[in-house]
Amino acid sequence: MPGTSQLSRSRRPKWHYVAVGVGLIVVAVVLTVAWQILAASETAGRAVSSARAVAYFFGSLLFLLLIAGLVLIVILLLREVRLNERQSNFVSAVTHELKTPVASLKLYLDTLEFREVPLERRAEFYRTMRQDIDRLNTTINSVLNAAMYTDRPVAEPRPLDLARLVRRAVELTITRFQLPRGAIRCEGADSLRLAGDAQALEIAVLNLLDNAVKYSKDRVQVEVETWADADGLAHVRVRDHGIGMSRTHLPFIFTRFYRIGAEVRRSRTGTGLGLFIVRSIMKGHRGTISADSAGPDRGSTFTLSLPGVLEPEPEREPEAARV
Amino acid sequence: MSRIVVVEDEEHLAAGIRFNLELDGYEVETIGDGLRALERLAPAPDGSQPPAPVDLVLLDVMLPGLDGFQIVERMRQAGNFVPVLMLTAKGLPEDLVHGLETGADDYLAKPFDLTVLLARVRGLIRRRDWARGASEGPERARVGEAQVDFRSFELQRAGTTVHLTLLEAMLLKLLVQRRGQVVSKAEILEKVWNLSADTETRAVDNFVMRLRRHLDDDPRSPRLLQTVRGVGYRLAEP
Repeated sequence: MPGTSQLSRSRRPKWHYVAVGVGLIVVAVVLTVAWQILAASETAGRAVSSARAVAYFFGSLLFLLLIAGLVLIVILLLREVRLNERQSNFVSAVTHELKTPVASLKLYLDTLEFREVPLERRAEFYRTMRQDIDRLNTTINSVLNAAMYTDRPVAEPRPLDLARLVRRAVELTITRFQLPRGAIRCEGADSLRLAGDAQALEIAVLNLLDNAVKYSKDRVQVEVETWADADGLAHVRVRDHGIGMSRTHLPFIFTRFYRIGAEVRRSRTGTGLGLFIVRSIMKGHRGTISADSAGPDRGSTFTLSLPGVLEPEPEREPEAARV
Repeated sequence: MSRIVVVEDEEHLAAGIRFNLELDGYEVETIGDGLRALERLAPAPDGSQPPAPVDLVLLDVMLPGLDGFQIVERMRQAGNFVPVLMLTAKGLPEDLVHGLETGADDYLAKPFDLTVLLARVRGLIRRRDWARGASEGPERARVGEAQVDFRSFELQRAGTTVHLTLLEAMLLKLLVQRRGQVVSKAEILEKVWNLSADTETRAVDNFVMRLRRHLDDDPRSPRLLQTVRGVGYRLAEP
Protein backbone atom coordinates (compact mmCIF):
# COMPACT_ATOMS: atom_id res chain seq x y z
CA MET A 1 0.00 0.00 0.00
CA PRO A 2 1.63 3.23 -1.08
CA GLY A 3 0.10 5.19 1.80
CA THR A 4 1.89 3.31 4.54
CA SER A 5 4.91 4.97 6.01
CA GLN A 6 8.54 4.16 5.49
CA LEU A 7 8.66 2.58 8.93
CA SER A 8 6.04 -0.03 8.41
CA ARG A 9 7.29 -0.81 4.93
CA SER A 10 10.79 -1.58 6.09
CA ARG A 11 9.82 -3.89 8.91
CA ARG A 12 7.16 -5.93 7.22
CA PRO A 13 9.40 -8.58 5.54
CA LYS A 14 10.64 -9.96 8.88
CA TRP A 15 7.21 -11.40 9.59
CA HIS A 16 7.71 -13.78 6.67
CA TYR A 17 10.36 -15.64 8.66
CA VAL A 18 7.92 -16.07 11.52
CA ALA A 19 5.33 -17.39 9.07
CA VAL A 20 7.87 -19.87 7.67
CA GLY A 21 8.70 -21.02 11.21
CA VAL A 22 5.05 -21.54 12.11
CA GLY A 23 4.51 -23.39 8.82
CA LEU A 24 7.43 -25.71 9.60
CA ILE A 25 6.00 -26.49 13.04
CA VAL A 26 2.64 -27.40 11.51
CA VAL A 27 4.36 -29.66 8.95
CA ALA A 28 6.41 -31.35 11.67
CA VAL A 29 3.36 -31.95 13.86
CA VAL A 30 1.32 -33.34 10.95
CA LEU A 31 4.20 -35.60 9.92
CA THR A 32 4.63 -36.93 13.46
CA VAL A 33 0.96 -37.68 13.91
CA ALA A 34 0.61 -39.26 10.46
CA TRP A 35 3.71 -41.36 10.99
CA GLN A 36 2.44 -42.59 14.37
CA ILE A 37 -0.93 -43.52 12.89
CA LEU A 38 0.68 -45.31 9.96
CA ALA A 39 3.11 -47.20 12.17
CA ALA A 40 0.35 -48.13 14.59
CA SER A 41 -1.96 -49.44 11.86
CA GLU A 42 0.89 -51.42 10.31
CA THR A 43 1.76 -53.19 13.53
CA ALA A 44 -1.83 -53.62 14.62
CA GLY A 45 -2.54 -57.21 15.44
CA ARG A 46 1.10 -58.18 15.14
CA ALA A 47 3.29 -58.60 18.16
CA VAL A 48 5.68 -55.72 18.59
CA SER A 49 9.25 -56.67 19.32
CA SER A 50 10.91 -54.83 22.17
CA ALA A 51 13.62 -53.53 19.83
CA ARG A 52 10.95 -51.89 17.69
CA ALA A 53 9.22 -50.43 20.72
CA VAL A 54 12.48 -48.84 21.78
CA ALA A 55 13.00 -47.50 18.26
CA TYR A 56 9.47 -46.01 18.29
CA PHE A 57 10.03 -44.49 21.67
CA PHE A 58 13.30 -42.77 20.73
CA GLY A 59 11.98 -41.84 17.28
CA SER A 60 8.99 -40.10 18.82
CA LEU A 61 11.17 -38.44 21.43
CA LEU A 62 13.52 -37.05 18.78
CA PHE A 63 10.61 -35.80 16.74
CA LEU A 64 9.12 -34.06 19.77
CA LEU A 65 12.50 -32.49 20.45
CA LEU A 66 12.58 -31.27 16.86
CA ILE A 67 9.16 -29.67 17.25
CA ALA A 68 10.13 -28.11 20.56
CA GLY A 69 13.25 -26.68 18.93
CA LEU A 70 11.20 -25.17 16.12
CA VAL A 71 8.75 -23.63 18.59
CA LEU A 72 11.68 -22.16 20.50
CA ILE A 73 13.18 -20.69 17.33
CA VAL A 74 9.88 -19.09 16.39
CA ILE A 75 9.47 -17.60 19.87
CA LEU A 76 13.00 -16.18 19.78
CA LEU A 77 12.41 -14.83 16.29
CA LEU A 78 9.18 -13.18 17.36
CA ARG A 79 10.94 -11.50 20.26
CA GLU A 80 13.68 -10.34 17.92
CA VAL A 81 11.13 -8.94 15.49
CA ARG A 82 9.35 -7.06 18.28
CA LEU A 83 12.61 -5.66 19.63
CA ASN A 84 13.62 -4.62 16.14
CA GLU A 85 10.32 -2.92 15.64
CA ARG A 86 10.61 -1.06 18.93
CA GLN A 87 14.20 -0.09 18.14
CA SER A 88 13.24 1.31 14.78
CA ASN A 89 10.43 3.20 16.51
CA PHE A 90 12.93 4.45 19.06
CA VAL A 91 15.34 5.68 16.41
CA SER A 92 12.44 7.41 14.72
CA ALA A 93 11.21 8.96 17.98
CA VAL A 94 14.66 10.09 19.09
CA THR A 95 15.40 11.50 15.63
CA HIS A 96 12.18 13.45 15.88
CA GLU A 97 12.81 14.50 19.48
CA LEU A 98 16.33 15.70 18.69
CA LYS A 99 15.80 17.19 15.26
CA THR A 100 12.62 19.11 15.97
CA PRO A 101 14.08 21.42 18.66
CA VAL A 102 17.28 21.77 16.63
CA ALA A 103 15.24 22.75 13.57
CA SER A 104 13.29 25.25 15.66
CA LEU A 105 16.44 26.74 17.20
CA LYS A 106 18.01 27.06 13.76
CA LEU A 107 14.90 28.66 12.32
CA TYR A 108 14.75 31.27 15.11
CA LEU A 109 18.49 31.99 14.96
CA ASP A 110 18.25 32.45 11.17
CA THR A 111 15.24 34.70 11.65
CA LEU A 112 17.02 36.85 14.25
CA GLU A 113 20.03 37.09 11.94
CA PHE A 114 18.28 37.87 8.66
CA ARG A 115 15.19 39.78 9.76
CA GLU A 116 14.37 42.98 11.56
CA VAL A 117 12.53 41.58 14.56
CA PRO A 118 10.61 44.00 16.80
CA LEU A 119 11.68 44.02 20.43
CA GLU A 120 8.63 42.29 21.92
CA ARG A 121 8.73 39.51 19.32
CA ARG A 122 12.42 39.12 20.09
CA ALA A 123 11.63 38.36 23.76
CA GLU A 124 9.09 35.78 22.62
CA PHE A 125 11.66 34.18 20.30
CA TYR A 126 14.18 33.88 23.13
CA ARG A 127 11.55 32.20 25.29
CA THR A 128 10.76 29.75 22.49
CA MET A 129 14.43 28.97 22.01
CA ARG A 130 14.94 28.38 25.71
CA GLN A 131 12.05 25.88 25.69
CA ASP A 132 13.64 24.11 22.73
CA ILE A 133 16.89 23.80 24.63
CA ASP A 134 15.00 22.39 27.64
CA ARG A 135 13.37 19.85 25.38
CA LEU A 136 16.72 18.81 23.90
CA ASN A 137 18.13 18.52 27.39
CA THR A 138 15.24 16.32 28.51
CA THR A 139 15.75 13.93 25.60
CA ILE A 140 19.50 13.77 26.15
CA ASN A 141 18.96 13.12 29.88
CA SER A 142 16.49 10.33 29.33
CA VAL A 143 18.84 8.57 26.91
CA LEU A 144 21.70 8.96 29.40
CA ASN A 145 19.57 7.86 32.37
CA ALA A 146 18.39 4.80 30.49
CA ALA A 147 22.02 3.81 29.98
CA MET A 148 23.04 4.72 33.53
CA TYR A 149 20.35 2.91 35.53
CA THR A 150 19.96 -0.27 33.48
CA ASP A 151 20.68 -3.48 35.40
CA ARG A 152 22.64 -1.77 38.11
CA PRO A 153 22.00 -1.95 41.87
CA VAL A 154 22.32 1.26 43.87
CA ALA A 155 26.02 1.70 44.57
CA GLU A 156 25.77 3.56 47.86
CA PRO A 157 22.33 3.63 49.46
CA ARG A 158 22.03 6.67 51.71
CA PRO A 159 19.24 7.60 54.09
CA LEU A 160 16.75 9.94 52.47
CA ASP A 161 13.27 11.29 53.07
CA LEU A 162 11.03 9.91 50.35
CA ALA A 163 8.03 12.07 51.30
CA ARG A 164 10.09 15.23 51.02
CA LEU A 165 11.62 14.05 47.75
CA VAL A 166 8.14 13.48 46.32
CA ARG A 167 6.97 16.94 47.47
CA ARG A 168 9.99 18.53 45.81
CA ALA A 169 9.34 16.63 42.56
CA VAL A 170 5.73 17.84 42.61
CA GLU A 171 6.87 21.48 43.08
CA LEU A 172 9.34 21.10 40.22
CA THR A 173 6.73 19.63 37.90
CA ILE A 174 4.24 22.43 38.71
CA THR A 175 6.91 25.03 37.88
CA ARG A 176 8.13 23.24 34.77
CA PHE A 177 4.68 22.91 33.20
CA GLN A 178 3.42 26.20 34.66
CA LEU A 179 0.45 24.44 36.24
CA PRO A 180 -2.02 26.10 38.61
CA ARG A 181 -1.55 25.34 42.32
CA GLY A 182 -3.60 22.30 43.21
CA ALA A 183 -3.30 20.68 39.79
CA ILE A 184 -1.14 18.08 41.52
CA ARG A 185 -2.38 17.23 45.02
CA CYS A 186 0.10 15.69 47.43
CA GLU A 187 -1.03 13.56 50.39
CA GLY A 188 0.28 11.04 52.86
CA ALA A 189 3.21 10.77 55.22
CA ASP A 190 5.05 13.92 56.30
CA SER A 191 8.30 12.09 56.47
CA LEU A 192 9.24 8.64 55.21
CA ARG A 193 12.84 7.65 55.61
CA LEU A 194 14.56 4.91 53.65
CA ALA A 195 17.97 4.11 52.19
CA GLY A 196 18.50 4.68 48.50
CA ASP A 197 19.87 6.86 45.73
CA ALA A 198 18.06 10.18 46.09
CA GLN A 199 18.95 11.41 42.59
CA ALA A 200 17.70 8.23 40.93
CA LEU A 201 14.49 8.15 42.95
CA GLU A 202 13.80 11.77 42.09
CA ILE A 203 14.21 10.95 38.38
CA ALA A 204 11.77 8.07 38.80
CA VAL A 205 9.12 10.22 40.53
CA LEU A 206 9.64 13.09 38.06
CA ASN A 207 9.19 10.71 35.13
CA LEU A 208 5.88 9.49 36.55
CA LEU A 209 4.70 13.07 37.14
CA ASP A 210 5.82 14.14 33.64
CA ASN A 211 3.79 11.30 32.17
CA ALA A 212 0.77 12.15 34.32
CA VAL A 213 0.83 15.73 33.00
CA LYS A 214 1.75 14.80 29.42
CA TYR A 215 -1.05 12.26 29.09
CA SER A 216 -3.65 14.43 30.81
CA LYS A 217 -6.49 15.85 28.79
CA ASP A 218 -7.28 19.58 28.80
CA ARG A 219 -7.28 19.93 32.57
CA VAL A 220 -4.41 18.49 34.58
CA GLN A 221 -5.57 16.76 37.77
CA VAL A 222 -3.09 14.46 39.45
CA GLU A 223 -3.11 12.90 42.93
CA VAL A 224 0.08 11.77 44.58
CA GLU A 225 0.17 9.75 47.77
CA THR A 226 3.13 8.55 49.81
CA TRP A 227 2.80 6.01 52.64
CA ALA A 228 4.53 3.17 54.47
CA ASP A 229 2.78 -0.14 55.11
CA ALA A 230 3.08 -2.62 57.95
CA ASP A 231 5.56 -4.80 56.02
CA GLY A 232 8.13 -2.01 55.94
CA LEU A 233 7.46 -1.11 52.30
CA ALA A 234 7.27 2.50 51.15
CA HIS A 235 4.77 3.31 48.41
CA VAL A 236 4.32 6.27 46.07
CA ARG A 237 1.14 6.35 44.02
CA VAL A 238 0.62 8.76 41.11
CA ARG A 239 -2.92 8.84 39.76
CA ASP A 240 -4.02 10.92 36.75
CA HIS A 241 -7.35 11.41 34.98
CA GLY A 242 -5.84 11.48 31.51
CA ILE A 243 -6.05 9.40 28.37
CA GLY A 244 -5.31 6.09 30.14
CA MET A 245 -4.78 2.99 28.04
CA SER A 246 -6.39 -0.29 27.15
CA ARG A 247 -5.46 -3.27 29.32
CA THR A 248 -3.64 -4.97 26.45
CA HIS A 249 -0.85 -2.39 26.65
CA LEU A 250 -0.30 -2.64 30.42
CA PRO A 251 2.16 -5.57 30.38
CA PHE A 252 4.41 -3.85 27.86
CA ILE A 253 4.65 -0.22 28.94
CA PHE A 254 7.79 -0.76 31.03
CA THR A 255 9.63 -2.33 28.11
CA ARG A 256 12.41 -0.30 26.59
CA PHE A 257 11.30 1.79 23.57
CA TYR A 258 7.68 0.69 23.93
CA ARG A 259 5.19 3.35 22.86
CA ILE A 260 1.50 3.01 22.15
CA GLY A 261 0.45 3.68 18.57
CA ALA A 262 2.26 4.40 15.31
CA GLU A 263 5.26 6.70 15.43
CA VAL A 264 4.31 8.76 12.35
CA ARG A 265 0.96 9.72 13.80
CA ARG A 266 2.27 10.58 17.23
CA SER A 267 0.63 13.46 19.05
CA ARG A 268 2.69 13.33 22.25
CA THR A 269 6.42 13.74 22.43
CA GLY A 270 8.68 11.09 23.94
CA THR A 271 11.21 8.38 23.31
CA GLY A 272 9.68 5.31 24.95
CA LEU A 273 12.32 5.39 27.68
CA GLY A 274 10.59 7.12 30.63
CA LEU A 275 8.86 4.15 32.27
CA PHE A 276 11.75 1.85 31.37
CA ILE A 277 14.03 4.17 33.36
CA VAL A 278 11.59 4.14 36.30
CA ARG A 279 11.50 0.36 36.29
CA SER A 280 15.30 0.14 36.09
CA ILE A 281 15.66 2.49 39.06
CA MET A 282 13.11 0.45 41.02
CA LYS A 283 15.00 -2.76 40.21
CA GLY A 284 18.21 -1.12 41.42
CA HIS A 285 16.45 -0.47 44.75
CA ARG A 286 14.93 -3.99 44.82
CA GLY A 287 11.57 -2.27 44.52
CA THR A 288 8.72 -2.67 42.06
CA ILE A 289 6.48 -0.54 39.90
CA SER A 290 2.96 -1.40 38.90
CA ALA A 291 0.50 0.24 36.55
CA ASP A 292 -3.25 0.19 36.26
CA SER A 293 -5.79 1.82 34.01
CA ALA A 294 -9.52 1.28 33.77
CA GLY A 295 -9.29 1.81 30.01
CA PRO A 296 -8.79 4.51 27.39
CA ASP A 297 -9.78 8.00 28.62
CA ARG A 298 -10.17 6.74 32.17
CA GLY A 299 -6.82 7.74 33.63
CA SER A 300 -3.84 5.72 34.83
CA THR A 301 -2.36 4.87 38.21
CA PHE A 302 1.29 4.07 38.81
CA THR A 303 2.56 2.75 42.13
CA LEU A 304 6.18 2.54 43.25
CA SER A 305 7.00 0.18 46.11
CA LEU A 306 10.35 0.28 47.87
CA PRO A 307 11.71 -1.91 50.66
CA GLY A 308 13.90 -0.81 53.52
CA VAL A 309 11.89 1.84 55.37
CA LEU A 310 14.03 3.20 58.22
CA GLU A 311 12.88 4.06 61.70
CA PRO A 312 11.83 7.71 62.03
CA GLU A 313 14.70 9.94 63.02
CA PRO A 314 14.96 10.51 66.78
CA GLU A 315 13.77 14.02 67.55
CA ARG A 316 16.69 14.88 69.76
CA GLU A 317 19.41 14.56 67.11
CA PRO A 318 18.64 17.38 64.73
CA GLU A 319 22.27 17.51 63.46
CA ALA A 320 22.00 14.13 61.76
CA ALA A 321 19.05 15.28 59.67
CA ARG A 322 21.12 17.99 58.07
CA VAL A 323 23.86 15.66 56.83
CA MET B 1 -1.24 37.60 -2.64
CA SER B 2 -0.40 33.91 -2.43
CA ARG B 3 -1.96 31.85 0.34
CA ILE B 4 0.14 29.18 2.01
CA VAL B 5 -1.15 26.47 4.36
CA VAL B 6 1.45 25.28 6.89
CA VAL B 7 0.62 21.84 8.34
CA GLU B 8 2.95 21.40 11.31
CA ASP B 9 2.15 20.13 14.81
CA GLU B 10 5.26 21.59 16.43
CA GLU B 11 4.02 24.99 17.55
CA HIS B 12 7.46 26.58 17.65
CA LEU B 13 8.25 25.63 14.06
CA ALA B 14 4.79 26.59 12.83
CA ALA B 15 5.04 30.02 14.49
CA GLY B 16 8.58 30.64 13.17
CA ILE B 17 7.67 29.64 9.63
CA ARG B 18 4.51 31.76 9.77
CA PHE B 19 6.45 34.82 10.97
CA ASN B 20 8.88 34.55 8.06
CA LEU B 21 6.32 33.82 5.35
CA GLU B 22 4.16 36.73 6.50
CA LEU B 23 7.15 39.05 6.35
CA ASP B 24 7.58 37.97 2.72
CA GLY B 25 4.01 38.97 2.00
CA TYR B 26 2.25 35.61 1.98
CA GLU B 27 -1.05 34.91 3.66
CA VAL B 28 -0.49 32.03 6.06
CA GLU B 29 -2.81 29.48 7.68
CA THR B 30 -1.38 27.01 10.19
CA ILE B 31 -2.94 23.64 10.97
CA GLY B 32 -1.67 21.40 13.76
CA ASP B 33 -3.07 17.95 13.02
CA GLY B 34 -3.49 15.58 10.12
CA LEU B 35 -7.24 15.15 10.13
CA ARG B 36 -7.96 18.87 10.21
CA ALA B 37 -5.43 19.36 7.41
CA LEU B 38 -7.28 16.81 5.32
CA GLU B 39 -10.59 18.56 6.02
CA ARG B 40 -9.06 21.81 4.84
CA LEU B 41 -7.18 20.49 1.80
CA ALA B 42 -9.46 17.71 0.62
CA PRO B 43 -12.90 18.71 1.91
CA ALA B 44 -15.80 16.34 1.47
CA PRO B 45 -18.14 17.70 -1.22
CA ASP B 46 -21.12 18.47 1.02
CA GLY B 47 -22.38 21.54 -0.77
CA SER B 48 -21.01 24.00 1.80
CA GLN B 49 -18.93 26.90 0.63
CA PRO B 50 -15.50 25.73 -0.57
CA PRO B 51 -12.60 27.11 1.50
CA ALA B 52 -10.30 29.81 0.17
CA PRO B 53 -8.02 28.51 -2.61
CA VAL B 54 -4.49 27.61 -1.56
CA ASP B 55 -1.32 28.27 -3.59
CA LEU B 56 1.14 26.14 -1.66
CA VAL B 57 1.13 23.61 1.18
CA LEU B 58 4.05 23.12 3.59
CA LEU B 59 3.49 19.67 5.03
CA ASP B 60 5.18 17.93 7.96
CA VAL B 61 5.40 14.12 7.77
CA MET B 62 4.95 13.15 11.43
CA LEU B 63 1.54 14.47 12.41
CA PRO B 64 -1.10 13.45 14.90
CA GLY B 65 -4.12 11.83 13.28
CA LEU B 66 -2.85 11.25 9.77
CA ASP B 67 0.71 11.33 8.43
CA GLY B 68 1.91 13.67 5.70
CA PHE B 69 2.29 10.98 3.03
CA GLN B 70 -1.34 9.96 3.49
CA ILE B 71 -2.50 13.56 3.35
CA VAL B 72 -0.82 14.22 -0.03
CA GLU B 73 -2.17 10.99 -1.41
CA ARG B 74 -5.74 11.76 -0.33
CA MET B 75 -5.45 15.35 -1.56
CA ARG B 76 -4.47 14.14 -5.00
CA GLN B 77 -7.26 11.56 -5.00
CA ALA B 78 -9.73 14.28 -4.07
CA GLY B 79 -8.57 16.36 -7.02
CA ASN B 80 -6.50 18.94 -5.14
CA PHE B 81 -3.31 19.50 -7.15
CA VAL B 82 -1.82 22.42 -5.24
CA PRO B 83 2.00 22.21 -4.97
CA VAL B 84 3.16 20.46 -1.78
CA LEU B 85 6.52 20.98 -0.06
CA MET B 86 7.20 18.25 2.49
CA LEU B 87 9.13 19.01 5.67
CA THR B 88 10.42 16.19 7.80
CA ALA B 89 12.92 15.28 10.48
CA LYS B 90 13.89 12.15 8.57
CA GLY B 91 16.25 13.15 5.79
CA LEU B 92 16.91 9.79 4.17
CA PRO B 93 17.04 9.59 0.36
CA GLU B 94 14.37 6.89 0.30
CA ASP B 95 12.05 9.21 2.20
CA LEU B 96 12.58 11.78 -0.51
CA VAL B 97 11.62 9.31 -3.19
CA HIS B 98 8.68 8.04 -1.16
CA GLY B 99 7.47 11.62 -0.67
CA LEU B 100 7.74 12.42 -4.35
CA GLU B 101 6.04 9.16 -5.32
CA THR B 102 3.01 9.86 -3.15
CA GLY B 103 2.54 13.14 -5.00
CA ALA B 104 4.57 15.77 -3.13
CA ASP B 105 6.38 18.28 -5.32
CA ASP B 106 9.42 19.04 -3.23
CA TYR B 107 11.08 17.88 -0.05
CA LEU B 108 13.10 19.62 2.68
CA ALA B 109 14.79 17.89 5.64
CA LYS B 110 14.71 19.38 9.15
CA PRO B 111 16.69 21.24 10.29
CA PHE B 112 16.62 23.47 7.23
CA ASP B 113 18.13 26.86 6.38
CA LEU B 114 15.63 29.69 6.45
CA THR B 115 17.00 31.04 3.17
CA VAL B 116 16.63 27.62 1.52
CA LEU B 117 13.05 27.28 2.76
CA LEU B 118 12.08 30.70 1.43
CA ALA B 119 13.81 30.02 -1.91
CA ARG B 120 11.96 26.71 -2.29
CA VAL B 121 8.65 28.39 -1.48
CA ARG B 122 9.30 31.11 -4.07
CA GLY B 123 10.47 28.46 -6.52
CA LEU B 124 7.32 26.35 -6.18
CA ILE B 125 5.00 29.32 -6.55
CA ARG B 126 7.01 30.52 -9.54
CA ARG B 127 7.07 27.05 -11.11
CA ARG B 128 3.32 26.89 -10.75
CA ASP B 129 3.07 30.16 -12.67
CA TRP B 130 5.59 28.86 -15.21
CA ALA B 131 3.65 25.65 -15.78
CA ARG B 132 0.49 27.71 -16.13
CA GLY B 133 2.13 29.59 -18.97
CA ALA B 134 2.42 32.92 -17.20
CA SER B 135 5.95 33.40 -18.44
CA GLU B 136 6.72 31.44 -21.57
CA GLY B 137 5.67 28.56 -23.73
CA PRO B 138 2.30 27.50 -25.03
CA GLU B 139 -0.89 27.75 -23.02
CA ARG B 140 -2.40 24.85 -24.89
CA ALA B 141 -0.97 21.99 -26.85
CA ARG B 142 -2.18 19.02 -28.82
CA VAL B 143 -0.37 15.80 -28.00
CA GLY B 144 -1.56 12.95 -30.23
CA GLU B 145 -5.29 12.72 -29.61
CA ALA B 146 -5.09 14.63 -26.35
CA GLN B 147 -5.66 18.33 -25.81
CA VAL B 148 -3.68 19.82 -22.89
CA ASP B 149 -4.46 23.09 -21.16
CA PHE B 150 -1.44 24.25 -19.16
CA ARG B 151 -3.42 26.99 -17.38
CA SER B 152 -5.93 24.66 -15.80
CA PHE B 153 -3.64 21.57 -15.81
CA GLU B 154 -6.37 19.68 -17.67
CA LEU B 155 -5.85 17.00 -20.25
CA GLN B 156 -8.77 15.96 -22.46
CA ARG B 157 -8.75 12.79 -24.44
CA ALA B 158 -11.57 10.74 -25.95
CA GLY B 159 -14.20 12.74 -24.09
CA THR B 160 -12.66 12.39 -20.62
CA THR B 161 -10.81 15.05 -18.65
CA VAL B 162 -7.80 14.21 -16.51
CA HIS B 163 -6.29 16.63 -14.02
CA LEU B 164 -2.49 16.75 -14.10
CA THR B 165 -0.37 17.50 -11.03
CA LEU B 166 1.98 20.48 -11.15
CA LEU B 167 4.96 18.27 -11.89
CA GLU B 168 3.16 16.18 -14.52
CA ALA B 169 2.15 19.42 -16.23
CA MET B 170 5.69 20.79 -16.03
CA LEU B 171 7.22 17.61 -17.40
CA LEU B 172 4.74 17.51 -20.27
CA LYS B 173 5.29 21.19 -21.02
CA LEU B 174 9.05 20.69 -21.14
CA LEU B 175 8.61 17.79 -23.57
CA VAL B 176 6.12 19.75 -25.70
CA GLN B 177 8.50 22.71 -25.93
CA ARG B 178 11.25 20.39 -27.12
CA ARG B 179 9.04 18.19 -29.28
CA GLY B 180 11.00 15.84 -31.50
CA GLN B 181 14.19 16.25 -29.48
CA VAL B 182 15.55 13.98 -26.78
CA VAL B 183 15.37 15.51 -23.29
CA SER B 184 17.84 13.92 -20.86
CA LYS B 185 16.78 12.61 -17.46
CA ALA B 186 19.32 14.92 -15.84
CA GLU B 187 17.76 17.97 -17.47
CA ILE B 188 14.28 16.88 -16.40
CA LEU B 189 15.47 16.44 -12.80
CA GLU B 190 17.01 19.89 -12.80
CA LYS B 191 14.26 21.79 -14.60
CA VAL B 192 11.19 20.10 -13.21
CA TRP B 193 12.30 18.92 -9.77
CA ASN B 194 15.08 21.42 -9.02
CA LEU B 195 17.18 18.43 -7.98
CA SER B 196 20.82 17.97 -8.89
CA ALA B 197 21.27 15.71 -11.92
CA ASP B 198 23.01 12.92 -9.99
CA THR B 199 20.14 12.30 -7.56
CA GLU B 200 19.23 8.61 -7.59
CA THR B 201 15.51 8.59 -8.09
CA ARG B 202 12.87 6.74 -10.01
CA ALA B 203 10.63 9.79 -9.83
CA VAL B 204 11.12 10.75 -13.49
CA ASP B 205 10.35 7.22 -14.70
CA ASN B 206 7.25 7.14 -12.52
CA PHE B 207 6.01 10.44 -13.86
CA VAL B 208 6.70 9.41 -17.48
CA MET B 209 4.66 6.26 -16.84
CA ARG B 210 1.84 8.31 -15.40
CA LEU B 211 1.85 10.61 -18.43
CA ARG B 212 1.86 7.68 -20.84
CA ARG B 213 -1.30 6.35 -19.25
CA HIS B 214 -2.99 9.63 -20.16
CA LEU B 215 -1.50 9.93 -23.65
CA ASP B 216 -0.90 6.58 -25.30
CA ASP B 217 -3.33 3.85 -26.22
CA ASP B 218 -0.97 1.16 -25.07
CA PRO B 219 1.35 2.55 -22.37
CA ARG B 220 3.61 -0.51 -22.66
CA SER B 221 4.55 0.19 -26.27
CA PRO B 222 4.29 3.96 -26.37
CA ARG B 223 4.24 5.73 -29.73
CA LEU B 224 4.05 9.29 -28.41
CA LEU B 225 6.19 9.51 -25.29
CA GLN B 226 9.23 7.45 -26.23
CA THR B 227 12.11 6.24 -24.11
CA VAL B 228 15.50 6.78 -25.73
CA ARG B 229 17.51 4.12 -23.95
CA GLY B 230 20.39 5.50 -21.91
CA VAL B 231 19.68 9.11 -22.93
CA GLY B 232 16.26 10.29 -21.92
CA TYR B 233 12.76 10.81 -23.27
CA ARG B 234 11.29 12.23 -26.44
CA LEU B 235 7.83 13.37 -27.45
CA ALA B 236 7.14 12.30 -31.05
CA GLU B 237 6.46 14.98 -33.68
CA PRO B 238 2.76 15.34 -34.46
